[in-house]
Amino acid sequence: MVQYIVKRLLGLLPTLLIVGLLVFLFVHLLPGDPARLAAGPDANPETVELVRKDLGLDRPLPAQFVRFVNGVLHWDFGRSLRTKRPVSEEIGERFMPTFWLTVWSMAWSVVFGMVIGVLSAVWRNRWPDRLGMTLAVSGISFPAFALGMVLMQVFSVQLGWLPTVGNDTWRHYLLPSLTLGAAVAAIMARFTRSSFVDILGEDYIRTARAKGLDEPHVVVKHGMRNALIPVVTMMGLQFGFLLGGSIVVEKVFNWPGLGRLLVDAVDMRDYPVIQALVLLFSLEFILINLIVDVLYGLINPTIRYR
Amino acid sequence: MKKLFRPAAAVAVALVLAATPALAAKDVVFAVASTFTTTDPYDANDTLSQAMAKSFYEGLFGFDKDMKLIPVLAESYDVSKDGLVYTVKLKKGVKFHDGTDFKADAVKTNLDRVTNPDNKLKRYGLYNNNIAKVEAVDDYTARITLKTPFSPFIAQLAHPSTVMISPAALKQWGNKDIAFHPVGTGPFKFVEWKATDYLKVAKFDGYWKKGYPKVDTITWKPVVDNNSRAALMQTGEAHFTFPVPYELTDVLKAKPDLDVVAAPSIVLRYLSMNTQQKPFDNPKVRQAIAYAINKEALAKVAFNGYAAPAEGVAPQGVEYAYKQGPWPYDVAKAKALLAEAGYPNGFETELWSAYNHSTANKVTQFIQQQLQQVGIKTKITLLEAGQRVEKVESWQDPATAPVRLYYVGWSTSTGEADWALRPLLDGGSWPPRLFNTAYYKNPKVDADIKNAQLTTDSAEKAKLYKDAQETIWNDAPWAPLVTERLLSANNKKLSGVYVIPDASFNFTEIDLK
Repeated sequence: MVQYIVKRLLGLLPTLLIVGLLVFLFVHLLPGDPARLAAGPDANPETVELVRKDLGLDRPLPAQFVRFVNGVLHWDFGRSLRTKRPVSEEIGERFMPTFWLTVWSMAWSVVFGMVIGVLSAVWRNRWPDRLGMTLAVSGISFPAFALGMVLMQVFSVQLGWLPTVGNDTWRHYLLPSLTLGAAVAAIMARFTRSSFVDILGEDYIRTARAKGLDEPHVVVKHGMRNALIPVVTMMGLQFGFLLGGSIVVEKVFNWPGLGRLLVDAVDMRDYPVIQALVLLFSLEFILINLIVDVLYGLINPTIRYR
Repeated sequence: MKKLFRPAAAVAVALVLAATPALAAKDVVFAVASTFTTTDPYDANDTLSQAMAKSFYEGLFGFDKDMKLIPVLAESYDVSKDGLVYTVKLKKGVKFHDGTDFKADAVKTNLDRVTNPDNKLKRYGLYNNNIAKVEAVDDYTARITLKTPFSPFIAQLAHPSTVMISPAALKQWGNKDIAFHPVGTGPFKFVEWKATDYLKVAKFDGYWKKGYPKVDTITWKPVVDNNSRAALMQTGEAHFTFPVPYELTDVLKAKPDLDVVAAPSIVLRYLSMNTQQKPFDNPKVRQAIAYAINKEALAKVAFNGYAAPAEGVAPQGVEYAYKQGPWPYDVAKAKALLAEAGYPNGFETELWSAYNHSTANKVTQFIQQQLQQVGIKTKITLLEAGQRVEKVESWQDPATAPVRLYYVGWSTSTGEADWALRPLLDGGSWPPRLFNTAYYKNPKVDADIKNAQLTTDSAEKAKLYKDAQETIWNDAPWAPLVTERLLSANNKKLSGVYVIPDASFNFTEIDLK
């Protein structure tokens, strides 16, 4: 197992290098000259050239790439073209807010989604199922920005119970995590339900029932473990997506997270920030995949890694 | 021993507690629309960052709330006969936040800094490489010598980017890091900047204007989403916000403790036409397009009535702007002109917008419909910032420039006709140099602009600028559309905060009840 993990972690390096090269080429292909953008509309060509030099964009592309890779190896991601602050600082400041928001959203949505999913599967096509799946479909179809605004209007503006924007106290986390988690909870509910419905039709469930086990036992002990594999996969994927920062939710709640940083960076063609963010997102996905694979082994001992 | 201290501490705590309600801290929160790029006005190109920097920086000159040029750190100035030497007398008794005195060496340090290309500042271009030297004659007299006469020079000194940074702080932090440690003479001193969250400033006790500022702190809070900004105003978490989107004015007006203010602006919206390309090389076609658009209706449809038809090439409120009345709406005349020009059935062309927000979307669709009436078919593209730079602003060869009809706007932040005309309509300002997206060139206009720079006689200048604006109006490289009104909202407890016509803020009189 340990050997497997080490092997996977080593395999990470070439992947990141390829991602780095692709991202580097991709951002330089984006239309628009960052020096011109940074200098502003009323700058003359001399000023644009000054800005270009200042940002290090006057060097040839290969030289810029070498500098980029060399910098990354030394844990130096350069400076943001927009704010001129170190990229690592820009990202570091925003990583934790996004991380905690993701964790809280995932926590409630996974619990809630799985409970609804299991209940719906057990009482398939009866009212708990109908109710649960109605909730789930609404959760998927209701756009996050609308949900966020409605929640803010009701709980912050009308009732005055919760703060509108910011991330200072736990009360700031309630509305954004609710908004962000709604779609995930819905997806988890539907996944859990369909996975459970399949499992509940399996022979070993019939056997368990036949040997006289009570229903809660059958569902939790024999059903849950086996149904969990696809659910965990989905969980990993969703976690990865949320860690990228939700642009919509971060905009509505003015969350100081990575999603907004990425949008700002793309708008201003802030190459160093875009590159570092995409590298970070790739790394997150790779690590989450690894964790998911390890979890498979824990959930189902017949899965072995070498 | 330890015990002895406790009563003293308790008394101190009690005193503080007792004192607090009597002297309730006046903390003001501004909710603004985007994050700040920098606190260094010389390295900023966005109005918002420069407006925020007014908390801690002041210039030699500035603008009052109606955008009239006023002396700030300058006491007075005079110009030599040849228009080359500006002698500025400075106010005495002004201190920087770091305790040093404001003297003429600060003027020299700051102007030398921005005009030195090695410092690579974004406002390098504003001074046009025209300052020959800056001298400190004595402690409170600065002398600036220009290479060629440039009559709008004082307006340049009033530009929000020309501020006085403490020379001592510049020395301590260096050219780049000064942006994270701003030290000026302004009413507030810098406290902290959390890029994503807020920028906070607090009252500077040594401020030269006695009795000011009247509030203790200002927290500048960037809140990107329009609805969220409105929510902050409704809950009272913010005292002032700008801009307010048109669709939210009614919601905010309905709140008894909020005021929505529509201030006049010098933000001009226009439709530029590439005069180097067929069919726009024919002035009749350009005039026809100007006639074909109902500006009155445009202001109602796209700006919810918070705009008025443009009254000239430079908007009213800019010094030396010449009012020529809105361009009339006359479809019959437009058709006749098109027929005369040889396009009785119209033609097809591209209509680009410099912005991709919803107002620009409405404007371009409205223009599309209006032009359809006279047979001109347009294809709309809303350019995203990067595309705009690539296809318009940094296009290298004027002969192949793909821009045709281009919807864009301009705010003249020096408040003076030179900056309203030269970057947009001078023959030497074609992209990528500056912003003449009409590729307009008329030797008469160029001469007027040049001569106006050279003369220091105000009446003569007014005459030259009038002539230039009349010529431009008749040549119609643009269809002038509207001047916007600037919508802001403030809590009724807050007073003395104004959005000035160039969309910057004036808050010298800020107070909170």
